[in-house]
Amino acid sequence: MKTASTESTLSPIWNWKITALSFALLFFVGILAVSFGPVSLDFMKIIKTLFGLPGGLNGQERTLLIDLRLPRALLAALVGAALATSGAVYQTVFRNPLADPYLLGAAAGAGLGATIAITSAGADLYSLLPIFSFVGAILAVLVSFFISGKFFAEPNSLLLSGIAVGSFATAVQTYLQQRNSSSLRPVYSWILGELTVANWQKVAWSSIYIFIALTILITVSKQLDGLMLTDEEAYSLGINPNRLRVIAVVAATLATATAVSASGLIGFVGIVVPHLVRGITHRVTNRGLLTIALVGASFLVLADLGARTLLSPAELPIGVITAFVGAPFFLVVLRKKRLVSK
Amino acid sequence: MFKSKNFGLLISVAAIAAIVTQTLPAYAANPIPKRIISLSPSATETLFAIGAGKQVIAVDDLSNYPSAAPITKLSAFSPNVEALLNYKPDLIILNADATKALEIKAALEKLKIAVFLERAPDNLKQAYSEVTALGRITGNLTGAQSTISNMKSRISAAIKSARKTKKITFFHELDNTLYSATSDTFIGKVYKDFNLSNVADPAASADSAGYPQLQSEYLIKANPGIIFLSDAQYGESISTLMKRPGWNGIAAVKNKDVISLPEDIPSRWGPRLADFYEFIAKSISQIGTKK
Amino acid sequence: MTSVIKVEDLTVRLGSREVLRDISLEIEHGKWTCLVGPNGAGKTTFLKALLGSQTYSGSITDSGVEVFKNHDRNVAFVPQHPQIPIGMSVSEYVMLGRSKRDGWGNESTSSRKLVAQILKLTGLFGMQNQFVTQLSGGEMQRALIARALVQEPTLILLDEPTSALDLHHQIAVLNNIELLKERGVTIISTMHDITLAAMYAEKIIVMQEGRVLLNGSSDEVIHSPELKSAFENRINVYTLESGRPVIVAKKEK
Repeated sequence: MKTASTESTLSPIWNWKITALSFALLFFVGILAVSFGPVSLDFMKIIKTLFGLPGGLNGQERTLLIDLRLPRALLAALVGAALATSGAVYQTVFRNPLADPYLLGAAAGAGLGATIAITSAGADLYSLLPIFSFVGAILAVLVSFFISGKFFAEPNSLLLSGIAVGSFATAVQTYLQQRNSSSLRPVYSWILGELTVANWQKVAWSSIYIFIALTILITVSKQLDGLMLTDEEAYSLGINPNRLRVIAVVAATLATATAVSASGLIGFVGIVVPHLVRGITHRVTNRGLLTIALVGASFLVLADLGARTLLSPAELPIGVITAFVGAPFFLVVLRKKRLVSK
Repeated sequence: MFKSKNFGLLISVAAIAAIVTQTLPAYAANPIPKRIISLSPSATETLFAIGAGKQVIAVDDLSNYPSAAPITKLSAFSPNVEALLNYKPDLIILNADATKALEIKAALEKLKIAVFLERAPDNLKQAYSEVTALGRITGNLTGAQSTISNMKSRISAAIKSARKTKKITFFHELDNTLYSATSDTFIGKVYKDFNLSNVADPAASADSAGYPQLQSEYLIKANPGIIFLSDAQYGESISTLMKRPGWNGIAAVKNKDVISLPEDIPSRWGPRLADFYEFIAKSISQIGTKK
Repeated sequence: MTSVIKVEDLTVRLGSREVLRDISLEIEHGKWTCLVGPNGAGKTTFLKALLGSQTYSGSITDSGVEVFKNHDRNVAFVPQHPQIPIGMSVSEYVMLGRSKRDGWGNESTSSRKLVAQILKLTGLFGMQNQFVTQLSGGEMQRALIARALVQEPTLILLDEPTSALDLHHQIAVLNNIELLKERGVTIISTMHDITLAAMYAEKIIVMQEGRVLLNGSSDEVIHSPELKSAFENRINVYTLESGRPVIVAKKEK
């Protein structure tokens, strides 16, 4: 990105080598993640098992790698990609560098859904929990749309109604928890974010939704740049800003809702990763969405590795790690970029 | 609406307790486990009491009794499946209230490790069934039976010695913001066995789990004859109570019938339940004797 | 196929208010037309209607084709208050102008050459890696003009291109806009400062409360009674020795 312009030609706006690099990063981080844990496994055997070569792991060790570590790493990658991408998209759509994927009441709605599941479903709550939190997130965003009235004439009015919806959902959630104190621990734990017991089933359904959402977003990513300008400027350059905004928000919300229902509320990924990528590449174009998705995936896979190993044998909640790493990182990037103008 | 949900919740919990205990015959068919990990402090106490102590290789970080128990850093509430694997266990006793307990059980069973889900009992009868269950799956049925009969005799002796014919009101304080436990809770039922009257009961509908928060004004009006401080370990005592506005007038405070509960014992539903009953019996018999 | 923009019975309603009422006129291509009038006259709304992004009743045709949501035209729009993307460099910002011709995100090598040229022309080449948020008012306007230049449009709409600038920069920006006219681009701008409008525009349209009072050459309009009545007779029109008109507001009690 730092290639200087020649005297007569501007340097390219986006360098796809960065994207290729982030693919490689994710690959290596993934291998790293499945190689470490409280149980030590032979590294060469891990590689052989992953690539289906003979001489790999057997029995309990194989189950550990294939049924425990691998789905967990994959889920972390999916959730990290989903949150980072939808955070970046929200930042573009709302023209606000502090926007995160939980805007528009999605987090509060998911939390309320989770609380309802925990306080009323009895024994089978954990299988219903993802559905309830997914629906909760989607409903909250829909209600925000509905309350704000104009279908996106004003991104700011949508933001405000999102705040209102979020506050209301949180209030109802607090009330339910007060009346059902046995739900406090499970809900708190869910809020901190959990990838602890990923399984292949979860990976399957969440990958479907997240892939659909990310494909939509990456397909329109080039045009999303137009949303950073006023509607008339965007229109003059060939875009339908209203329609594009709706598509972007719907897809981003789908990604967020899926991520939240699979793994609870994991914070900071959605804000930090987009800024990290933009800070390193010195570009804000949304052509960076694929890179942001890949870096987000790597980020969360690493954070999850930390969650599993730092306080072993206890689990550190992943939300704590993303906050501890994310916050200082964020400050550094902000300072470097001097986002505050003049 | 919430009342019927509470009821439904209670029914489901009771049903699950029944189902859990019913599935035990499956474990009886398995060989005797020699490498048990207990992730439940109550189960740990029970295991050692019934004679299964030598089969236990690790217990969670809260299992501080008996002192012979091999305490580790394993977490009872957020167990780490891989860390458990490191011990090469053949049976894990998991707290049903642990986060994602069912999913952890599934993951462990995939790894071919037997899991017993232990749920907090709702009453004495269930507490005894759990002792029996642990006896069955660890091959210490006789030990379990003798532990149970020991508990039973001590508990009935305690109740007999101190059960009051005239109902005395009491307040069980969980913390200094006045959270309490109603007669729906296990500990509430212990008090009920002594024929004590719980001032928190009228507030039962405020929390489905039986832990409502009471108002200071209400407590002063209810004027309990005994106050049990479960937060004594956090610094509450009769002197801090006297500092609370209006509390000087409460009968329990006036008569110095404020009893500090020991740590842990009230929350363990293993063999030390008998200890708890005996403690309550002694405290009750000393009412009205302090100056 | 006439080279005009034809407006017939144009009415625009925003909410419950009629912002433009029954406007009918023609705007010639290749010329610089300026909309003048007091605040609330509807100048900005008229520009948006000409852009094709604003719903209207009536008709606006450009070379015979209705303009509403018609993306076949290449029209540049320079707003009075642009949305300034945070963290975007000047080169990235100006490059956005090529999106119409190249498609979004597909800038060709020739485009990158052109943008480099235009940056030099507008004196922004040295600042190309600075953030757009760090530009001064004058520099920002130049960036907007640069972006419009690289778009190579057939029509450019400018909303108050000079209002926020000091005198020196006002002239610089207006000279840059004249560059566009030399390339055959039709220019339609709104301006507060009628003196400047008279200096640069060939045609002036006087608006008041959503209606068009007059549409004619600068000379005609400047000395017309309609201009005075649009501003409720609160202006004076003077002519300098050189023949240039100067319009100033009357000092009132």
